[in-house]
Amino acid sequence: MSTEPRGGTVFDIGYQRYTGLREGRSRGRAAVFRDGVRAALGLGRGPRAKLLPWLFVALLSGIALIMALIAGAAERLGGPGSMERLNLPSHADFYGIASIILFVFAAIVAPELLCRDRREGVINLYLVRPLSGTDYVAARWGAFCTVMVAAAWLPQAILFAGLSMGDPDPTAYLAAHWLDIPRFLLAGAAMAAYITTLALLTASFTTRRAYASVFLVGLFVITTPFTAGLSQEIGGRAGQWISMFNLTNIPVHVNDVIFGEVSELTEDAPARAFGGAKLVAWYLVWTLVPAAILWSRYRRMTP
Amino acid sequence: MSAPLISVSHLTKRYREVAALTDVSFSIPEGITGILGENGAGKSTAIKILLGLVPPTSGTATVLGESATGSIAVRARLGYMPEHDCLPSHVSAAEFLTHMAEVSGLPPRAARTRAADTLRHTGLFEERYRAMGGYSTGMKQRVKLGQALVHDPAFVFLDEPTAGLDPVGREEMLALVRKTHRDFGISVLVSSHLMSDVERTCDRIIVLQGGRLVHSGEVGHFTKETETVFLEVDAHRAALVAALERRGVAVAVTGGGLTIEGPDESVYDHVRDALVEAEAPLRRMAPQRHALTELFRGGTP
Repeated sequence: MSTEPRGGTVFDIGYQRYTGLREGRSRGRAAVFRDGVRAALGLGRGPRAKLLPWLFVALLSGIALIMALIAGAAERLGGPGSMERLNLPSHADFYGIASIILFVFAAIVAPELLCRDRREGVINLYLVRPLSGTDYVAARWGAFCTVMVAAAWLPQAILFAGLSMGDPDPTAYLAAHWLDIPRFLLAGAAMAAYITTLALLTASFTTRRAYASVFLVGLFVITTPFTAGLSQEIGGRAGQWISMFNLTNIPVHVNDVIFGEVSELTEDAPARAFGGAKLVAWYLVWTLVPAAILWSRYRRMTP
Repeated sequence: MSAPLISVSHLTKRYREVAALTDVSFSIPEGITGILGENGAGKSTAIKILLGLVPPTSGTATVLGESATGSIAVRARLGYMPEHDCLPSHVSAAEFLTHMAEVSGLPPRAARTRAADTLRHTGLFEERYRAMGGYSTGMKQRVKLGQALVHDPAFVFLDEPTAGLDPVGREEMLALVRKTHRDFGISVLVSSHLMSDVERTCDRIIVLQGGRLVHSGEVGHFTKETETVFLEVDAHRAALVAALERRGVAVAVTGGGLTIEGPDESVYDHVRDALVEAEAPLRRMAPQRHALTELFRGGTP
């Protein structure tokens, strides 16, 4: 048997020109979108980057699970219809309950998608590739909105599954409540679009993620009790207008219009007096105007 | 001669009252071209126009056969290495180059392969999985060059590629720039303040001053030999000057030596004879060359 050592030779074939497919601008947009989703969820990063986003997702899912367990227990212990009799919160109330968590989630995570690229200068490399400023910011907006939509829909799906299975007659429950599915999908998407736009607009004004986060938390958390208290105190038409500036309530009013019910968060809001059409129009103003400002900030950006 | 990769005709760019570029015309063929100029000369504005990032006020710019302002698709065949920091600190070089290749339009699998190849060619293969926050300045410059090359562009713009590098790192980077054209076949436009870098690396230069083109052409044309000879002796300099003048040679005392007008070879015979006569020990004798720095002192080769 041969005992000669086995060997190999490595050949350096030198630099090779790329002659394959170039997918152009659409591939560039998709790459920035995917990178945004990964950054928002901390995918491919260390445990610290994953901690906060997944904690928020777990918290939202946990709330939905508890709501479903309570409703299921009430139905089984109190008999059919107990949920309605006890006025337990359901799909129409969920976004009102969870909105503050979604706002804080956006405040902490969204700035990561824009601030870091500008602070570290990576934006300069994006803008010299076959990608416009509009492509970049649209892809980042789409990425974070996708994450927000998923964070909004997942607990509602858990709640729906829990309520269906908790009902003594799941088939009857599905037949009676199937319309809740398109409603929560639409309301969740509306909430995600609103929060994403405001959060990214704020992030577009600073290169420091912490500054954007603190400003957003202040905007959502502090303006809510302030406008609520002031509108109740002043009352009348002025009070109603002040209530319109409760930024947390704006997408929840839309949720109420979609479900045709008033959630616990907005039942005392004087802004309700304006009616559904004006509240939806107000929501559109607060989503589309910030989106236009955000777009204008990136549209002509050059390295 | 092949068609120019870049051609600029009567290009003017004004920012309100400030003229960044005024009626500039030049063309860039294959090879390594240096663009020189002081701060505010218009180098960055010219590069931004060529990359299609800002529109010119008037004039035309054609890059790889397409109008620079017409479409951003041409950027898929261009690379750009900025002067300033542009690397995410928390990402590895392999991940970053793969991402940048995809942003330039390459499919994911091809992007991964290209990223690995490019890191190997730029000398970062062993370090490719480390977060870039821990890289040295030289390694960061290599990644910056790598991201400009990863999608295999036809033309690459390098803005101050040796900025912040020590002498060894500077030599290595200049070697990489030369390799980019000579081995990879990618033409290069180097923007730099360092005349010696440009002189040693580039085939052609474009010189801008105050937004106007002052010189454009082969580097060899600017650094060609002058019609003078520089002479340095250890002693008897005055005697040597007198001996040269007696032979009808025009001589000037400059700094530590003598500059002799020498339009033809006969001057060397006169120098030899004068050195013998004056018994002056010769230290150095060489034909003088123009330096690129003369271009900024108003000199014309």
